[in-house]
Amino acid sequence: MSAIRIALKDIRQRLRDRSFYLWGIAAPFGLAAIFTLLLGDLGSGGTSFTYAVADEDRGATARLFVEEVLQPLEDDGVFSVEEVASAAEARSLAEKARVNAAFIIPAGFSAAAAEDGTTAIEVVANVDSPIAGQVARSVAGHFVGEINAVRTSLGTYFLLLARAPEPGEAERLVDAAMAVPNPLSLVELEAASKELPMRTYYPAAMAILFIFLTVQFGVLGLLEERQNGTMGRLLAAPISRLSIVTGKALTSFVLGLVSMTVLVAGSTLLLGAEWGNSWGVAILVLAAVIAAMGVMFVVAGLATSAEQAGNLQAIIGFVLAMLGGCFFPVAQVGGFMEKLSLATPHAWFLRGLGDLAAGGGAASVFPAALYVALFGVVTGGLAQFRIRRTLVP
Amino acid sequence: MRKVWAIGRANTVRFLRQRTNIFFTFVFPIFLVLLMGMIFGSQSEARIGVHVAGSGGLLASGLVEALDELDQVVVVSYDSEAAMTEAVERGAVTAGVLVPEGYDSALMGGGSAGVGILTRSTDQNGMLARETVRDVVARQGIPIRAARFAVEEGGVSFSQALAVARVVAGQETGITVSYSRAGESAFEDFENLGTFDVGAPAMLVLFMFLNTLAAAADLILTRKLGVARRMLSTPTSTGLIVRGEVAGRFGVALVQGVYIMVGTLLLFRVNWGDPLGAVAILVLFALVGSGAAMLSGALFRNEQQAGGIGVLLGLGLAAIGGCMAPIEVFPPAMKTAALFTPHAWAIDAFSELIRRDGGLVDILPQLGVLAAFAAFFMMLATWRLRRVLTR
Repeated sequence: MSAIRIALKDIRQRLRDRSFYLWGIAAPFGLAAIFTLLLGDLGSGGTSFTYAVADEDRGATARLFVEEVLQPLEDDGVFSVEEVASAAEARSLAEKARVNAAFIIPAGFSAAAAEDGTTAIEVVANVDSPIAGQVARSVAGHFVGEINAVRTSLGTYFLLLARAPEPGEAERLVDAAMAVPNPLSLVELEAASKELPMRTYYPAAMAILFIFLTVQFGVLGLLEERQNGTMGRLLAAPISRLSIVTGKALTSFVLGLVSMTVLVAGSTLLLGAEWGNSWGVAILVLAAVIAAMGVMFVVAGLATSAEQAGNLQAIIGFVLAMLGGCFFPVAQVGGFMEKLSLATPHAWFLRGLGDLAAGGGAASVFPAALYVALFGVVTGGLAQFRIRRTLVP
Repeated sequence: MRKVWAIGRANTVRFLRQRTNIFFTFVFPIFLVLLMGMIFGSQSEARIGVHVAGSGGLLASGLVEALDELDQVVVVSYDSEAAMTEAVERGAVTAGVLVPEGYDSALMGGGSAGVGILTRSTDQNGMLARETVRDVVARQGIPIRAARFAVEEGGVSFSQALAVARVVAGQETGITVSYSRAGESAFEDFENLGTFDVGAPAMLVLFMFLNTLAAAADLILTRKLGVARRMLSTPTSTGLIVRGEVAGRFGVALVQGVYIMVGTLLLFRVNWGDPLGAVAILVLFALVGSGAAMLSGALFRNEQQAGGIGVLLGLGLAAIGGCMAPIEVFPPAMKTAALFTPHAWAIDAFSELIRRDGGLVDILPQLGVLAAFAAFFMMLATWRLRRVLTR
């Protein structure tokens, strides 16, 4: 009972001096809003590619490419293609980003294709359209691959026979060679994305970063009471030591939960974040508050003054956040860095949300949430051996 | 002047005595530059995961080799399909290539095989990887087709024909696709830079501003602890105290700036461009930072408030000013907003020096804007501080 009374008094005090609003709500929410405004739309742009094609050859094989390869793809709505008069025009369209990329079929292409000559379809992509360029490259590559396959087939055949083709023999074999289907195909598989979309990532990253700073408002009260000389009075009162510690912990817990809840709700309403299954989010938020409190207790147990503890907690909070991928995707570095990252509760908190983003239900967060909560329980539990040290006048 | 120096020095020393400040001033920035360099350095290569189901074989390893030979592609092998799927889902690799079980036996025995390509629909780099892989897979089919044709027509054994076909396919120059890029990229400037060169100037201005703002708390302490009142009781004018406090903030900003610049130069060989220009930016930006810190110290009542606002403004303005992602990728409205932050001008000045080999003269406009920012902050702060110091 006295624990609750201590907590209520602390919470009231924190709300009155406005520092909670700043650290618990304004700073994380403000930063999340700025990041979302700046970068929230990155990578979510639609993909409709436009191409230009210049046929300077106008031979049979070249027309085959334009009319039987590109045209059907346009008709199917895969991309749009515009035929232009000259290579120079096509190139300039790509250069000015009017089209994403241009196909240029040089003069003499069909003749070279028919007579074992060398030639190339030129793909010019605008510098900022690498994907459209690569798609164009792949389409053209598929077409010349067909021609090359026939050539390789005939080349292999005559090499095995150890003789040159007789006049007209190669032409007769072309159809047969073309009839052999490509035995390999690409099967497109869709993976769910367990990476958070930017609009959710930034609020989530700021939430887990700042929760480590927000929880100090309760636990650090233990050190403050001593500095202010009020600890002695608390100890003299008929209040058990456990109640004092519990009261302070309760303050951290409540303020932490409020802060995170406001962030989740606020970013959903105002920033368009999608946190996923509400129960799953609730479990992760709870686990995150526990983790932050655990670390805070360790720091409070080690520090000699509230100020020192606050500073130490800030250092630990920022370092864990950086390693945990709150600032940039650390996991992409791979190797040791990736393993180090997975030691932090931050990385697991974001992972858990990733599982929810992929459409997982509340149960899907359990491995992640369990790690986050355990991190807090273990650190906080160990700290209890030292925290009694602060309970002296 | 001696008094200004003394107050300034006392402030700088007080700031550097705190262990937290030491960490955020000296350790954290270098750590971040290192980490950003690692991430930026690894981003120019696409990581593609591969899982060969079953026992593999000659053709399967041929496919993996062909992927590995691609420029700017790093192949990461996975022992299980589940592990690869997880890696794609988490974004650890951009795409996963699944070579099916019995790939070799199907192809050697006259059958067909489907190579799986696992990507996320939300990831554009995944699409890029998919098209690249499509090309590689199609080319793997060419010698097999040729060998089958030869078997059909000439009555040789498949393995014999395949061996010859692979040689022929390898020599074939025939018809190719040439690929080039055209136009001026919004990002062109970044492409020839060292791994650390992009991040370092951004981190420099971010931390100079952020940590100087943190030093605003000391100004509040000066007021709260009555240091200011005691100084005023000596023959020291308010103006002198204000100048001394400015000197203190300026000292902190300069220590931070010089440290990051020299540190990254020595540790990561970061190119800072023309030294004279770089130092000019450093000094002016230190003035901007100290002006902002003075303003914060004059406006807020306690250190906790100043701290919270400091982190919010320090990181927020840095983000808007292009310290966390280049301004070039911002939506238009935010590009305009960036012009109202000193960070954007300082980074622009550094870009002029680093990417375009500019000198002091080329960055005069940017330096002018920074000077205006500094003057504006200082004037507001002094006006306000004269009142709160004597209160």
